[in-house]
Amino acid sequence: MAKDAAGPAHGEPMAEEDRLVPLMIAYQAGRLDAFEALYLALADDVRRFFAASVLEPSTAHDLAQQTFLELHRARHTYRPPRPVRPWVFGIAVNLRRRHRREAMARARREADAPATMAEGSGPPPDVVATVAVQRALEQIPAGRRHAWLLHHVHGFSFEEIGARLGIGAGAAKLRSSRAMRGLRALLVPWKRDDD
Amino acid sequence: MTTEPMIPTAVLDEVRRDLRPVRPLPAPLVRALVVLPVGLALLAGLPLFWGLRRNIGELAPWASWGLSGLESLAGLLIVGAALSEAVPGRRLSARAVTATLFAGALVPITLTLVTSWLAPAEESPAVRIRFAIECFDQIAVWAMPAVAVPAWLAARAWPERPAVAGAFYGLGTGVMADAGARLFCWVSSPLHVLLSHGGAILAVTICGAVVATLIDRRRPRPTISDRGRG
Repeated sequence: MAKDAAGPAHGEPMAEEDRLVPLMIAYQAGRLDAFEALYLALADDVRRFFAASVLEPSTAHDLAQQTFLELHRARHTYRPPRPVRPWVFGIAVNLRRRHRREAMARARREADAPATMAEGSGPPPDVVATVAVQRALEQIPAGRRHAWLLHHVHGFSFEEIGARLGIGAGAAKLRSSRAMRGLRALLVPWKRDDD
Repeated sequence: MTTEPMIPTAVLDEVRRDLRPVRPLPAPLVRALVVLPVGLALLAGLPLFWGLRRNIGELAPWASWGLSGLESLAGLLIVGAALSEAVPGRRLSARAVTATLFAGALVPITLTLVTSWLAPAEESPAVRIRFAIECFDQIAVWAMPAVAVPAWLAARAWPERPAVAGAFYGLGTGVMADAGARLFCWVSSPLHVLLSHGGAILAVTICGAVVATLIDRRRPRPTISDRGRG
């Protein structure tokens, strides 16, 4: 009835699972050496799983560590003799989902800051909530970023932006265009890497 | 085996801190048995509290208590499916999800048609809406608190799709509540049962999905520095 979640090492030979199951049973029985052996067998795959899913290597590393902490906390949910990898990567999938949700929430919160400036302009569109754009935006100087957000996200004219930021319309346009150029430079390599 | 240098000290410390033996979770259907008293309470509690349907004499025991018992069992099996879905790495296939939802709809519909055929009884149009609202309320009021038990069981694991797991245990609980409701509600017209009882089951299903999602979002996150959390 149930289908096992696909992990990155789905093609592993059964012999590997045959080795992991007794280790998991021993770990559930309270043996530290079994945990160590499991960690060594799985850590690289878990790290690769996150590296393929998140942008920053340090985040992937943190998430991999958290997977083993969650695994430890949830070790009673593993039922021998079921395969160990789908269970471990099920936990990793949950952590990735949580990480993405938190990243989106963070992006929304930060996108809300200029929205507060632009009272009554309504919620920002989904483009702002994407993690990649948000991260790229964080690298753009604040003055340029605000001009870009006010124009491209909230739809203000450069005259209105200039009035809000206390600068001329031409300067607002220049800031927005420089922000756009910076975003392009930051996002295009990211897209190429991801593909 | 000396592997400590390769494992982050913080992770190893956390594992060492609490390395007591644990007992693996029983099979989902065995865990679902914890919900059995809830199912029995819904099955017997609703008709005992509101009184047995006035035309229960028209139904043989197999058609009243017997079919309600079967409906309760179906609800329990759906809760079992939810508990299976709740375990990491044990996502139900699309076919199993569809089959479970189909079963959750088919069982009450079939029982409605059988009851309507065996003991036809229709409310007067003047009270139709009031009866529909009353039945909806009575089922929802009994079933929604009952969702807490399977929600607790599912939260002990960590579902990859909390909304799916929650919808399933909500559906199972709703079906179990309907098993009791059909013993106090004397109206057997399919329109009333499908809209009012079915609506309540749907509401409990949505309630389950919302509860599971909220539980998932509030699940404490272990961090490397957060050593004290268990």
